[in-house]
Amino acid sequence: MAKKRKARSKKKASMKQRLGGWVLKLGLVGLVLLAALAMYLDAIVQEKFSGKRWSVPAKVFARPLELYAGQHLTHDDFLTELKALGYRPVNSVSGPGQMAVSGSQIDVYTRGFQFFEGTEPAQRVNVRFNGEQVASLSGSASLVMARLEPMMIGGIYPAHNEDRILVRLDQSPPYLVDSLVAVEDREFFQHFGVSPKGIARAMYVNLTSGSLRQGGSTLTQQLVKNFYLSSDRNIIRKGLEAMMAMLLELHYSKEEILEAYLNEVFLGQDGSRAIHGFGLASQYYFAQPLQELQLHQVALLVGMVKGASYYNPRRNPERATARRNLVIDLMAEQGMVSDEQAVQAKNKPLDVSAGGSMADTSYPAFMDLVKRQLRADYRDEDLTSEGLRIFTSLDPLLQHKAEEAVKTTLKRLGPAAEDVPLESAMVVSGAQTGEVLAVVGGSDPRFSGFNRALDASRPIGSLIKPAIYLTALEQADRYSLVTPIDDAPIELEAEPGKTWSPQNYGRQSHGLVPLYLALAKSYNQAAVRLGMDVGVDKVLNTVRRLGVEHDWPAYPSMLLGSGAMTPMQVSDMYQTLANGGFNTPLRSIRNVLTAQGEPLKRYPFEVRQRFDSASIFLTQEAMSHVMTEGTGRSAYNRVPSSVRLAGKTGTTNDLRDSWFAGFSDDLVAVAWVGRDDNGRTRLTGATGALQVWSTFMGEAHPQSLSAMPPGGIVKAWADPATGLGSDPSCVGSIEIPFKQGFEPLPGPGCRPVIDTEALQDGASKVLDTIRGWLR
Amino acid sequence: MGIRQIAPLAAILAVLAGCAGSGGAIPVVDNGRPVSNEDLQTGAGRVTTATPVTDQRRDSGVVVMVPNAEGGSSQVESYPLDSQPALQTGSGVTSIPSSANSSSSSSNGSGGLQQDEQLDGPVLALLTTARQQEGNGDLNGANASLERAMRIAPREPQVLYRLAQVRLGQGDAAQAEQLAQRGLSYASGRPELQAGLWELVAQAREQQGDAAGAEQARQRAKVSS
Repeated sequence: MAKKRKARSKKKASMKQRLGGWVLKLGLVGLVLLAALAMYLDAIVQEKFSGKRWSVPAKVFARPLELYAGQHLTHDDFLTELKALGYRPVNSVSGPGQMAVSGSQIDVYTRGFQFFEGTEPAQRVNVRFNGEQVASLSGSASLVMARLEPMMIGGIYPAHNEDRILVRLDQSPPYLVDSLVAVEDREFFQHFGVSPKGIARAMYVNLTSGSLRQGGSTLTQQLVKNFYLSSDRNIIRKGLEAMMAMLLELHYSKEEILEAYLNEVFLGQDGSRAIHGFGLASQYYFAQPLQELQLHQVALLVGMVKGASYYNPRRNPERATARRNLVIDLMAEQGMVSDEQAVQAKNKPLDVSAGGSMADTSYPAFMDLVKRQLRADYRDEDLTSEGLRIFTSLDPLLQHKAEEAVKTTLKRLGPAAEDVPLESAMVVSGAQTGEVLAVVGGSDPRFSGFNRALDASRPIGSLIKPAIYLTALEQADRYSLVTPIDDAPIELEAEPGKTWSPQNYGRQSHGLVPLYLALAKSYNQAAVRLGMDVGVDKVLNTVRRLGVEHDWPAYPSMLLGSGAMTPMQVSDMYQTLANGGFNTPLRSIRNVLTAQGEPLKRYPFEVRQRFDSASIFLTQEAMSHVMTEGTGRSAYNRVPSSVRLAGKTGTTNDLRDSWFAGFSDDLVAVAWVGRDDNGRTRLTGATGALQVWSTFMGEAHPQSLSAMPPGGIVKAWADPATGLGSDPSCVGSIEIPFKQGFEPLPGPGCRPVIDTEALQDGASKVLDTIRGWLR
Repeated sequence: MGIRQIAPLAAILAVLAGCAGSGGAIPVVDNGRPVSNEDLQTGAGRVTTATPVTDQRRDSGVVVMVPNAEGGSSQVESYPLDSQPALQTGSGVTSIPSSANSSSSSSNGSGGLQQDEQLDGPVLALLTTARQQEGNGDLNGANASLERAMRIAPREPQVLYRLAQVRLGQGDAAQAEQLAQRGLSYASGRPELQAGLWELVAQAREQQGDAAGAEQARQRAKVSS
């Protein structure tokens, strides 16, 4: 029995022992598992933190505004640009991002920028204006020129994407780190990833206040949650989060963690683009670089960390203001700012950049063009993740003017028919550089759908005519500007078995007219007759040489523009006419820098001489008569008559498409007005597109087209009625350029300068008198 | 607890410590850049510190040193003559701007430059910058600076001349010829510049294997000068 009891107790003891062993073993297994988990988590933590932390979409920039004495820039345009770049008005500039406006001069402290060809320093520049020009520039020592930083006009994102502008910790403005720590994690610099004290305090606060006012998460935990974990919350995730936070703290310094936090934190949603990090948030909400933010702005962003959409300052300004002021109070409470500073900051408005202002706008049509070019050269993943910096030629000032011209003109013209809106597109490019400066893709320039500037291919009508006249003028032995062309009814075999008799717009023929006037007045019968004389195939080849590839059949109807082009293609064609016969493929990208600021790729200026400059000069001369006495006359209602312009109207059958293409010395602009369903608009080129064009030109301050002839051109007097040489004394004779060696011989004088008839009368009277005496 | 049970525990702890790198006893290699994948010196392109502005106008009458027959060097008056002799060496980089107006150019006074050849501040500054970049072997940068000058003065043949020269140096003879031709279309009444441009056309044609065309261009160069 005793033995039995002993055995039992022995058995009990061994049971106990065995149980203890199991517990120990289980514990060990648990420890091993925990260790394995820790190792696994550690690998994750380190891998993501040490490698490339973020995919940064490519950033696209507009052209930087150049400043130098003589630059064509108005005071108002300069101010518009500065405001869009977030320059802050002050009484006296003392640091980057500030401007002081007084009368006709503007003091500005530029921000400096890393460009492809070098670094532009941040510097103080005084700009004086005189009319439409920069009169002088002064700054440090002998400042000759300066550049503003370019406006960021967009990024290249995949469908749903995080966007950010990375900042370093030392780029953060005063108060940012302190207030962030004060608001989100007071023990940040003391704890090891998790903060028991913080959790305890949070619990206490929540219990005493009866609501969830504080979370116990440290900044490190928040970073881990955003950086490594999905958004759903449960106790396991919370455990993982705490472990990873501790691991992160083991490997990295507080500064590194803080910097990562500044760049990771979610601060808003812009359509499908998520705004991450303080760097981008600063641009997105204030249109200013982070370094320049002031106390009240910093407080707003720090306050938004708690709930970016709940405290969105654009959508919920009252809520955002209250939150901001709470943060400021907290800062004052902790002695970071004085009470006086706090009161001042709390009295400030939110200062959020207005939606729809130039700072907060998108250029879908231009970006579309840029993307098409980039897709040809880069893979999508490089564009959306490598943080490339793409410098383009977009001129936001001209873009704005082009958009306004389209909008106001369409409004004035009214709808094409009941329930059928008019549409329009516009392309503006640099006449000499071939750079695309502005693109409007439709009546709503913010809408990123059908890009008519690039994709609406429409018959060009009379826009083809300069190609006919240029083809003729290349043959100097046969044609000059005053060669008489017969504007008389003509019947042609259009296609085998079909006759075609083109009509003039006014259903009237004008007989013999000088060549230049036939173009200026856009006479169809004269143009077709001339085109048939030089050959349809030759004319179509001229279009190719002007820069537009096409596969148009050589039918006579092509001479009146039944072939179709997009506004972009028309720009290419007219750019060659504007550029002295040199074709430059239109470019929208200047160059590309890597995220590190190293030059990656250039899109160099390239030219091909396609025509001799004399033939082009003569064509330009004829096209300038379009503006002074032809179908483009009304442009001078908006542009000063001292500015020499050249252009051509285009109208297609049944008034479906209204075109105008023309140029000054510096700008080529092409406007199209029509309907998406290709229906009738009741508009000619002059009543539709020309109105858009001249509204734009009236605001763009174009430079007068140079009337200085190139080599190989001489001027001579001619009689436009006959095309023969004449003399300044003859009524109706004009001085007009000819190719050297083909100018007509001067005609005999028509009348002496003194009225000889009167003189002869007088003389004969005297003679008669003498004769009378003699009798 | 016997040694049998302590051993694995110790091993686990060692592993834990190892992977955690506690106390920095086990070095952790951080391969990442200190901040991120974007060089933050330039931020989103921004420069944070103001750097002193270099005096670009210093040599407003850019004087170019070219080797002469005696093996020394002589100064050649500015544009358009400057790079012509340099070009004959084929590199286009031999000409280097000297730092200041020196005796020869100042003795020539402004008479050395024809009225129409005197360039504006910004264009001259950019031509000088381009020359420095070219001297440092940064032909892409020189190209970009010259295109910047061209946007300011699109009809200035001296800019096109330099652009053609740099493109030739980059081996793009076809564009060099086109750019020189374009320069010629704006150079009427400037015989010296025309001669220089024709010489460039000749060299560009030579590089493209067009000996006859090059000879023709050389003839034009002689007629012009």
